[in-house]
Amino acid sequence: MAAGQSTRRRAIILLILSSIILITLDLQSSSTVSGLRSVFGAVFRPVESTSRVVTRPISNAWHGVFDYNEVLDENDRLREKVAQQEGATIAAAASVRLAQELLALNGLPTLAGINAVTTQVIGDSPTNFAQTVEINQGSESGIRVGMPVLNAAGLVGKITKVYGDRAVVMLITDPDFALSVKVINTPRPASTTTTIAQSNSATPSPVVPIDPVPTLDSSVSTTTTTTTTTIAGFTPSPTTLPAAPSGVTSITVPLASDLAVRETGVIEGRGPGRKPIVRFIDNSLRFGDIQVGVPIVTAGGSRSLSPPDILVGSVSRVVERLGSAGPVLEIELVADLTNLSFLRVLLYQPITEKVAP
Amino acid sequence: MIRLATILSSRWTRLVLVLLIVQSLQTTLFSDLRPFGVAVQIVLLFVVVAGSLYGSAIGALTGLIAGMMFDMILPTPVGLSSLSLGLAGATAGLLIYFFNEPTWWMRLIAVAVASVLGEIYFPMAQSVVGLDGWLQLRVIKVALVVAICNVIISPLAVIVCRWTLSERKVAI
Repeated sequence: MAAGQSTRRRAIILLILSSIILITLDLQSSSTVSGLRSVFGAVFRPVESTSRVVTRPISNAWHGVFDYNEVLDENDRLREKVAQQEGATIAAAASVRLAQELLALNGLPTLAGINAVTTQVIGDSPTNFAQTVEINQGSESGIRVGMPVLNAAGLVGKITKVYGDRAVVMLITDPDFALSVKVINTPRPASTTTTIAQSNSATPSPVVPIDPVPTLDSSVSTTTTTTTTTIAGFTPSPTTLPAAPSGVTSITVPLASDLAVRETGVIEGRGPGRKPIVRFIDNSLRFGDIQVGVPIVTAGGSRSLSPPDILVGSVSRVVERLGSAGPVLEIELVADLTNLSFLRVLLYQPITEKVAP
Repeated sequence: MIRLATILSSRWTRLVLVLLIVQSLQTTLFSDLRPFGVAVQIVLLFVVVAGSLYGSAIGALTGLIAGMMFDMILPTPVGLSSLSLGLAGATAGLLIYFFNEPTWWMRLIAVAVASVLGEIYFPMAQSVVGLDGWLQLRVIKVALVVAICNVIISPLAVIVCRWTLSERKVAI
């Protein structure tokens, strides 16, 4: 009996020490630990697959009982949303195409030029302390650690673990998630109208104000300021003058400060049920006040794991901070992370990560 | 030959095989069914039941082995769940130690309390190794839901745990 207890004590001490050593090794990304995970995965996957097949009826019955009303409500909401968006989609598709053509003409990278793998979510995180999902494609499909993962709405997360035929995606809401993003701010609308004095013109020049730039939050009221600058003695060349309606002799030139200003920051997750935040935004005058509803897109760049201009979300709250520290922005994600089914992994690696052939 | 048969029929070999099935249920069925948005932790349940039935040493050992296996499929560093589940198993065993001739409801209380603590140990361990952000008020909700669900499923877990960890003589 005493010998048994002594053996148990020794086993406990050995396992505790092994755990501490493994934590240390894993935090340093040791290949030994990755190898152990792969070996265990090879043993465990068949058991898991069998279990998935056996328990599917129970799972379906559970969702049938507890989620039926929710699904009906969601169905109604989605029908209404689809009807609203059908018209907008056509216009948006045309704009996207135009933008891609322009980017391609200027030799700039576009998302359309990046290969992607479509995958399906096959499992959620088994613990309550990791915001991850498992997908059914892995290194055999070209997926690597760090690649961005999207759904139809926008960015969902990034790949954190890759196996042969599956991978783990860390969602944006995980506290360990961080990615550089751009805040595309539209300062308070203001425009200038340049009246071109024409010697042969008898009619006064009407002012054509620019419509305020629409924001995602319709509750924000804006004021339009119009400044008129007359350039006397300036005769524009007919070939460079933009087409104007007959009789109109003034063109509207937006102020430089009216154009969308981009500022980079870092998006960080804060756990389930809490909106991610963007920090390290520069508190510059040119950037102006950040408005609720302005879009957040990925920043891209040679060191970023994500290509530029993937939609992440919009600003839902601006928390101003004292001193020169920039504001902290709470972000409403465009992707619904609670209902993930099909995802797209962009096979994108920044230049700094690419291995030379 | 006799030694090999003894090892194969030992409760620890049985434990590893049963834990493979328990863990597969955790990653499939119980990560899908989420009452109040919380994943029920049956690996933790198995460990605290083992602790409440067989004492803190067996509870700790079961927790360390179960945690080590669970770590292999989690994105968190290997060894973290091992330590937290080991601690949870030992806690369950210690709680029972305070009851003289524990009855079934005393064991249920021990399972509930150890489940709450076990669910809190993991984010604490994460914070210790620098994975901040999980120690939030939500942990209380998670721990309570896990404890209630564990109490409900515990009669089944007791049967499985008794079968797995009982010592049997091998007749060869």
